Amino acid sequence: MRSVPVPALAGSAGGPVVDADDETLMDLPSVEAAARAIIRNVETVIDGKRAAVTTALTVLLAQGHLLIEDVPGVGKTMLAKALAKSVHCSVSRIQFTPDLLPSDVTGVSVFNQVERRFEFRPGAIFANIVIGDEINRASPKTQSALLECMEERQVTVDGATYLLPPPFTVVATQNPIEMEGTYALPEAQRDRFMARISMGYPDTESELMMLDARDTASPLAGIEAVVSADQLRGMMTAVRGVFASAAVKEYTVSLVRATRDDRDLSLGASPRATLQLIRAAKARAALHGRDYVLPDDIDSLAVAVLGHRLVASSRVVGHHQDRGPVVDDIVRRIVAATPVPVGAPGHP
Amino acid sequence: MTPPDAGIRPARRGPSARAARLKQAQWPLAFALLLLLVVANAGLGPLLEDTGWWWLMTFAAAGVLLGSAGLRRAGLPAFFGPLAGFGVLVAMLTLFFGAGSGWLWLIPTGETVDRFRDLVFSGAVSVEQQSTPAEATVGILFLLSAGAGMIAILLDTLAVILRVPALAGLPVLVPVLVPGLVLTGAANLPALVLTAVAYLLLLRVEIRMRQAGSLQRPPVPARPGSVSQGWKRAPGAPGGAVVVGSVAIVAAIVVSVTAPVLPGGSVTGTRPGSNLLFSNGVSPMINLGQDLRRPDAEPVLHYRTTATRPPYLRLLTLEEFTGRNWVAGIAPGSRENTVDDIALPPGLSPEIKTSETITSIGIDDLATRWLPAPMPARSVTGLLGAWYWNEGTGSIASPGDTTIGQEYTVTALTLEPTAEQLRQAEGAYPAEIRRSLRLPAETPALIGDTAREVTAGTATAYDAARALQDYLRGSDFAYDTEAPVEDGYDGGGIDVVSTFLEVKTGYCVHFSSAMAAMARSIGIPSRIAIGYQPGSLSASGSVAGVGRYSVDTHDLHAWTEIYFEGVGWVPFEPTPGRGAVPAYTRDDAAAVPLGESGANAPSNAPRPEDLGGQQNADAQSDASSLAEELGGILRLGLLLLGTLALLLLPAAWRVTRRMLRRRGILSGRSGAADAWREISDTAVDHGVFVRDTETPRELAARLRVLIGSAPGARGAGIGAAAAALDRILVGAEQSRYGRPGGDASHPRAAELLADLDMVLRGIRSASDRRARARATLLPASLWRPAERRTDSQPRTRRIYARE
Repeated sequence: MRSVPVPALAGSAGGPVVDADDETLMDLPSVEAAARAIIRNVETVIDGKRAAVTTALTVLLAQGHLLIEDVPGVGKTMLAKALAKSVHCSVSRIQFTPDLLPSDVTGVSVFNQVERRFEFRPGAIFANIVIGDEINRASPKTQSALLECMEERQVTVDGATYLLPPPFTVVATQNPIEMEGTYALPEAQRDRFMARISMGYPDTESELMMLDARDTASPLAGIEAVVSADQLRGMMTAVRGVFASAAVKEYTVSLVRATRDDRDLSLGASPRATLQLIRAAKARAALHGRDYVLPDDIDSLAVAVLGHRLVASSRVVGHHQDRGPVVDDIVRRIVAATPVPVGAPGHP
Repeated sequence: MTPPDAGIRPARRGPSARAARLKQAQWPLAFALLLLLVVANAGLGPLLEDTGWWWLMTFAAAGVLLGSAGLRRAGLPAFFGPLAGFGVLVAMLTLFFGAGSGWLWLIPTGETVDRFRDLVFSGAVSVEQQSTPAEATVGILFLLSAGAGMIAILLDTLAVILRVPALAGLPVLVPVLVPGLVLTGAANLPALVLTAVAYLLLLRVEIRMRQAGSLQRPPVPARPGSVSQGWKRAPGAPGGAVVVGSVAIVAAIVVSVTAPVLPGGSVTGTRPGSNLLFSNGVSPMINLGQDLRRPDAEPVLHYRTTATRPPYLRLLTLEEFTGRNWVAGIAPGSRENTVDDIALPPGLSPEIKTSETITSIGIDDLATRWLPAPMPARSVTGLLGAWYWNEGTGSIASPGDTTIGQEYTVTALTLEPTAEQLRQAEGAYPAEIRRSLRLPAETPALIGDTAREVTAGTATAYDAARALQDYLRGSDFAYDTEAPVEDGYDGGGIDVVSTFLEVKTGYCVHFSSAMAAMARSIGIPSRIAIGYQPGSLSASGSVAGVGRYSVDTHDLHAWTEIYFEGVGWVPFEPTPGRGAVPAYTRDDAAAVPLGESGANAPSNAPRPEDLGGQQNADAQSDASSLAEELGGILRLGLLLLGTLALLLLPAAWRVTRRMLRRRGILSGRSGAADAWREISDTAVDHGVFVRDTETPRELAARLRVLIGSAPGARGAGIGAAAAALDRILVGAEQSRYGRPGGDASHPRAAELLADLDMVLRGIRSASDRRARARATLLPASLWRPAERRTDSQPRTRRIYARE
């Protein structure tokens, strides 16, 4: 198996994700400042969605993938695009349709008549931030091609493996209401996403402001990158260095275990969920300039990180068409009922 | 460090703390139980006179039930309830009945236990002695209070801990059904119906609480819209309770109506209607008259004696005159007072001539716990069972055995004081003897007037007693066992005495109680003795010159005993035509004419009992009442002081803990984490409900709101306190969740202390006066620490299999 660096891609100078030693390490105040800058920037196009924006950025910094689930027209794609444009890195967008082929995502080997050999044409996945619109409209085959790339952070075509350069984040959107003619993501594939957020409708004030500001021009046109790809990698490195105490780890594990034992859930969260919850919490701590994780970080991310992985028992779902809010309520209840370990001072 | 991002998730956990604790206390249930018990207790009404006993029972039950509920309210686990209830009961009994023997009048000591045992015995004796409606003596009150308290504990356990309030109907059947069993055919239907209503109310309350989810513990906070509320009602539980309850009520009614009334003799195994003295719950005085009126005399016992004059056989003495009745004082002797060696009677001086006699007694047909014996006895042999003698009265009684079939030998003294000795007996009476001077407050003037009239011109107590005896034995009075019953003044009450003195017809009960009451009215200690007069010498059965005497039911008798200082209790015989007049009261003992009463009494001095004695007695009683009053005040003061100290104990504990933490912080041994602990404890003290599922940051957010809500607080002060709170919060978080040694929020301990004080002040000033007082006196953090170190799993249960 060959490992072939992919040419001609912006911001692809870095090595594999795991070799992070040579990356610029950013100190936490700078991380916090940069994060604020990104959030401010995104908020110029999306009003009144601070929580969604923050969670999206958190996932980006934790090197996870984000699933945005909501009804059409609330700014899912706008959020993804604004986030991508705020960081100076490559962005690609895939509109998923039933006839989309896996090779459209991953790329394809084409015979070069001049050089008389096959050469690899990278697909849309080769970008730092990949926006997958309406992911549930693609065929399962295409979906699984995308999801393999997400997990492995590499693409294998015709026996050759191509690494995907960090940062690499997939931001997928889907519409939970209109399910006709779609292929809902199976649980195993939902599990690949670090977090799921929903935008929700803007409040009256934000909607009025939106009318005034974006009646004519496309707001995205005015967005400039505020953070370079190198800076972003530095932020990610800093996030990995955030400290999680034994008490916090214990708390995370008991939360996740509680989802497995809860009588209202027929499927609990996976160990991968535990791992990603801690990672996301580290990113959130760094976003707030802290170099240690608080139980509060876990609490505030629990719904986003765990919600989409859980399956509520049919008893509690009842007639709800959208299971999301039901599961979110269960997660909130579990969070509220799980004791927070105090931890021994000085002995984390 | 940035300011903490508070308010990320505001007020996420939070059923109202107050409501949660109120639910835990289950006040409605406690009150319903109390109502049930109180109503059921009223069912004892036909058995007892007045209503004081009912209030006392209510008080005991209320103390137990409300004390238990209060502790639950304070956050203690429910199973502490009965323990606490028992503690409250013991403390209340010690306070009311311990006569100051308890430590701080609340905590029982060995002496209290002894006293309680005596009270139980005397209560049992009173129950045996009295007819219904009986007078609630101290012993009975004690038994009732203890019983009500125990039933209350049982109810509390059944209804609150075991959560089967339907079964609470069973214990309360005891007070409801007892009258039905004791009184013939007295199925107290109104009481039963009322109890049933109270019982149904209890079930109703319990069902309502179940439906409201109050009985669920702990209250799981539920999100609006959350489907799972944690608790699911057990199907049909209230319905089952109603069924069980209805069955219990119906069964109770059926049983109380149809239950066979216990035959009077079944206790003793002899045939009903025989001379079962005291065994069927009848007053000795009334019973005595019944025995005397019986047309056929039944043999009771027989005896042989070495005494020259056949002795009176005394059963017991009645020294307390309650107004309605003469009753025995506290009866049982100590367990060490075995009958093989009985002490000399109190007050007997060696100068008095005594002779020892031996009497062998065989019981033919008598069932009582009192032993008929010549008094004062020195030893008894041949008895079966445990018999003890009493220091005060010399009476011999058994807590568990009866006289049935006993054959025993009594060695007794015969007191042979001379009239002169009795005349010279003087000096202040000891305190326990002075009790035998008490007359009921409602004593008619006639008694005292008659007594003074009869004893006018007598110089000594002895002469006065003789004058009374002679007066009653005089020709004015007639012995008749029927007349009092026909005229409706039977018994020994104070009104009966006064009627008797007018009608001048009656039998030994009337004569003896009249003499005793009159003696008391002129300051001479007196009491009534109940027993048998000597009986008759059988023609046959004389063995070696020792005659066999037979005693039958007609020999049952009551006489008066008078106390003389230096001699002790001396019997007198006021009933004409009955018994034998003691030698020392006969005329040949030379009545001393006025003026010759001895060296100590000037010839024309007023009789001490008449004027001086009276005044003296008054002065004495004044002095003693003053002393009692002072003692009462002192006792009250000490009680208050002790209670105060007890009440301040939690406060002292809390202050100590705070001091230790401050010291630790100041010395640098502990840091912001301890300061935070102190803050959250203080918050708990002030009524903030802190859960172990709450992060410090969430608590801080709530505390910031609390501090900001302080009435009259200025913006800057609030800001400073909030900033201090944030600094400590960050420090605590760093030390708990940060890297080891990462707490750098307060480089100097003094600053940390200053911050801590500012926050504590903020919390204090934001609470109302009541909350502050509670925080000081009853700091909740002592028994419900804000942070329990727990790694327990969330309280969820998997019921449904994975789908």
